Amino acid sequence: MASVFTAPPLADNGPGYSFKQTPTTHISADGTRQHSFYPYTDNGGSTLGISGADFTILAGDTRSTSGYNINSRYVPKLFKIGGEGPEHTGSSIVLSVVGFAADGDALKERLDTVVKMYKYQHGKNMSVAACAQRLSHILYNKRFFPYYVHAILGGLDEEGKGALYSYDPVGSYEREQCRAAGAAASLIMPFLDNQVNYKNQYIPASGYGHDLQPRKAELLPRNTVEELVRDAFDSAVERHIEVGDGLQMMIITKDGIEEVYSPLKKD
Amino acid sequence: MNHLPQAWGRPRDDVYGAYDHSYFQTSGPKQSTQQPIVTGTSVIAIKFKDGVVIATDNLASYGSLARFTDVKRLRQFNKSTILGFGGDVSDMQYLDRLLLSLAIRENYSSYSSASDDTDDTSNLESLNAKNLHTYMSKVMYRRRSDFNPLWNQILVAGFGNDEKPFLASVDLLGTTFSSPSLATGFGAHLAQPIMRKVVPDEASVANLDKETAVQTIRDCMKVLFYRDARSMDKYSIAVVTKDGIDLKEDEKLENQSWAFADRIKGYGTQVV
Amino acid sequence: MVGKDCVAIACDLRLGLQALTVSNNFPKIFSYGDVYLGLTGLATDVSTVADLFRYKVNMYRLREERQISPQTMANLVSSSLYERRFGPYFVSPVIAGINHTTGKPFICGFDSIGCIDFAKDFIVSGTASDQLFGTCEGLWEPDLGPEDLFETVSQALLNAVDRDALSGWGAHVYIIEKDKVTKRLLKGRQD
Repeated sequence: MASVFTAPPLADNGPGYSFKQTPTTHISADGTRQHSFYPYTDNGGSTLGISGADFTILAGDTRSTSGYNINSRYVPKLFKIGGEGPEHTGSSIVLSVVGFAADGDALKERLDTVVKMYKYQHGKNMSVAACAQRLSHILYNKRFFPYYVHAILGGLDEEGKGALYSYDPVGSYEREQCRAAGAAASLIMPFLDNQVNYKNQYIPASGYGHDLQPRKAELLPRNTVEELVRDAFDSAVERHIEVGDGLQMMIITKDGIEEVYSPLKKD
Repeated sequence: MNHLPQAWGRPRDDVYGAYDHSYFQTSGPKQSTQQPIVTGTSVIAIKFKDGVVIATDNLASYGSLARFTDVKRLRQFNKSTILGFGGDVSDMQYLDRLLLSLAIRENYSSYSSASDDTDDTSNLESLNAKNLHTYMSKVMYRRRSDFNPLWNQILVAGFGNDEKPFLASVDLLGTTFSSPSLATGFGAHLAQPIMRKVVPDEASVANLDKETAVQTIRDCMKVLFYRDARSMDKYSIAVVTKDGIDLKEDEKLENQSWAFADRIKGYGTQVV
Repeated sequence: MVGKDCVAIACDLRLGLQALTVSNNFPKIFSYGDVYLGLTGLATDVSTVADLFRYKVNMYRLREERQISPQTMANLVSSSLYERRFGPYFVSPVIAGINHTTGKPFICGFDSIGCIDFAKDFIVSGTASDQLFGTCEGLWEPDLGPEDLFETVSQALLNAVDRDALSGWGAHVYIIEKDKVTKRLLKGRQD
């Protein structure tokens, strides 16, 4: 079945409307017509994660789109993983997924089951590092029919420090300080480089030419990070049509997961 | 026609060429739906303080041909859930059979297990709209992952675990979402803006009464009939409340306004 | 980018053939009296269009016996590009300057066939435009003085081109005020 996977519709036929799912027809040189079903769509939106000394913040907008249509103004992209029951009581890991929402939901449920089974079988909570590697394997297991999502996983590591892992759709992953994903990733990421990792910032009058000292990146306090996240999304909303409606934030600390919702522009 | 019975009822070879038997092949590669054939257009629905109103017209089109004019595209499930189907009608009928078997299985098992410990079967926990939507999303997502999609977009209306009105959508890719008002197909362009004026957000659902909700849906059906070429003026409407479902399947659009038509060429009122 | 009584215009220095870097000293900003024109896109068209406007602006100055204003320049660029509506120059220009009669800052951008985008805040163009939209929208604020504007425009450009594989290799930044223009060369990342 994997070999049946077909290439996405050519880029020259405009934005990926959901109603593009009506027959994608290829006409060959000999005049035969082949209809094909394309199993993916893009539901837009953006996510963002930043880790600090003793916390991790994940954020995502709550708009769901197909083409130029807004499906809904509130479809969360952030999911608690593990914990007790359907409310994930006592959970300390958050997964954010952006891209094809149906794959995102399927992926979330797979990972949630794995983390819950781990608790039942071993009698202890799964560490973020273990969960991160397991997520990579889940994604790579579908290497030839991928989950079409950019995932970001957040939690606290075994020393209690903020931990953040980002993934590509086929499971290659990396622990990072900050990461933006989704439709407005290209807008948000350079802003984060500058404001979180202090890229291209130097200490004034610290030397001439190559002696000039770069400003050292430090772990940011929680309220600074929250402000940066809001600024990043306010900027993205202004310049990207698929981002908007609401901002959902999850802050993971040693006391658990705090969820904050704030409105974004709805236009 | 000749005297050979195998040729009777078949296109004549001398006129149409040899008959292509490949269409009747039962062996060979597995086939799956790659495009919808007989289709239903928009489904629209809106939540209000005590429940959900949902509607579709009664038309099944074959391309641009209005082929079947009495097709019911709202389906009741259990006592308080309605599903509205857009897209391929044969896939809808398959899902109808699937849901029937699910209902029989589910109600039989819950009835017998409940009667073990109590005689009271009146407030049995059966599948509610939220449970059914989850079930539908798994069916649809599984079929798309097998590259054999069920070519529908479905709205599920009823109540959730919290007894609050529930409305959600699932489509042929398994994509799911929920909103105070939902519309499929052309309705997403024409009806959704009208409905969003009435319920812009979840909070405003609590302030919407049944009469306004029903009237909004009826207005939307009229707009859809005016501007969606694949629609019809006969429609079904269902009001889902705690007291049960009020399903009407033979509604006719009323108070249509064609006053503008006599000034426009193409409506048959002008000869030259 | 617009500031208080000043404007800034900046560009990177890379010239590439797809992924292959051909030159690391290819400025994309050209001056026409007090008006500055930035050009991104197909390099041969960048040179051609820059020379074409040098000719046109010189002719304007000789005929009118005065410098061209940024607004006039904008309309000149627009009509010249639209002249080639069905065989366009593959460039997306940006104009920055201060109008010498009103003293007000002026910026605008164009698509390759001359549709003008008048903006009150900033204009971006080129392969890193997505990234530039993000950094500019995040860093810019109204009424920046010349020094703050220089810092803002430089940070916006450098951080944006660092996230674009096809841009970078240093930058030129012009800060235009009523009575002076400051040009600074930024080293930036050389990879």
